[in-house]
Amino acid sequence: MSKNRVTRRQFLNYTLTGVGGFMAAGMLLPMVRFGVDPVLQQKGDSDFIATNQKISDLTTEPTRVDYSFEQQDGWYSSEETGTAWVYKDENDKVVALSPVCKHLGCTVNWNGDKANENHFYCPCHGGLYTKDGTNVPGTPPIAALDVFPTKEVDGFLHLGKAEPR
Amino acid sequence: MKWHTQDIQLFLKERDYIDTVILPLYPVSFADDIQQTVAMTEFINLLSGQLEKQFKGRILMLPGMSYLKTISEEKRLADLIEWEKELISQNFKHIFYITSDSDWKTVEEQLDGGLIWMPSIPLDNMDDQYKLSILEDQVKQLLNVFVKKWQNND
Repeated sequence: MSKNRVTRRQFLNYTLTGVGGFMAAGMLLPMVRFGVDPVLQQKGDSDFIATNQKISDLTTEPTRVDYSFEQQDGWYSSEETGTAWVYKDENDKVVALSPVCKHLGCTVNWNGDKANENHFYCPCHGGLYTKDGTNVPGTPPIAALDVFPTKEVDGFLHLGKAEPR
Repeated sequence: MKWHTQDIQLFLKERDYIDTVILPLYPVSFADDIQQTVAMTEFINLLSGQLEKQFKGRILMLPGMSYLKTISEEKRLADLIEWEKELISQNFKHIFYITSDSDWKTVEEQLDGGLIWMPSIPLDNMDDQYKLSILEDQVKQLLNVFVKKWQNND
């Protein structure tokens, strides 16, 4: 037994302060959490969407990769589908381009026009883009195709949110 | 362009580029062919959605005309011709109707716009991935129809 024994009064004091402290913390912490919530919220653009495309299957020829994701539109959530044109460049780096034409938003196709081989072609107003997505001057589009950030997870391609250049 | 407020704003701004209008035709029936008309409507609805995605910058996809199968064919045709008159007066160069209902096939000659008749494919029991690839194939077929029509008139 130690010399400084805890008196009944001290013991009760400690217990009450301890329990009271927990209760106060229990009430205050959620309030603090609510207050700083916007700071802690995860940014949506860090979300990557998984596709069924194996990275090892990619070649230097752009291939069409379809993916689907849940879209929230007010109260209504629906399964939306998207597409990307994906290929490997000379340095073996994966490039994923958005198929949305920068003119008025049609879907562009690789080698879509017989007269313009190795270009992305927009069938609506004849917009052309080179393989790296740069718009060909003299055609309607005024900007290069958007680029998806890419990520490899277990050998499969994951796509982020398309960003303008 | 969809029949959405945002798209229509763009449509009004870039009207010169959007010279094509598509009107889906949706049959509605409560008789024995109710299932069929539902499948047709559903299929054309999905297909027109994909089609709009492909040609967003040059077509205006209208919300579609639903009609009762109990109404006589002459009356239905008269209604569609009313639509056609309005669309022509709005200076659309190319007008298309898209439907799975074969009734329209018989009156095709009386319409100025092109009629695209696609037999409906039962998609309800299909895997999403598979469904999408089928729709993509159909859209690819239609791509040529539209591109040819546009090239002939340019």
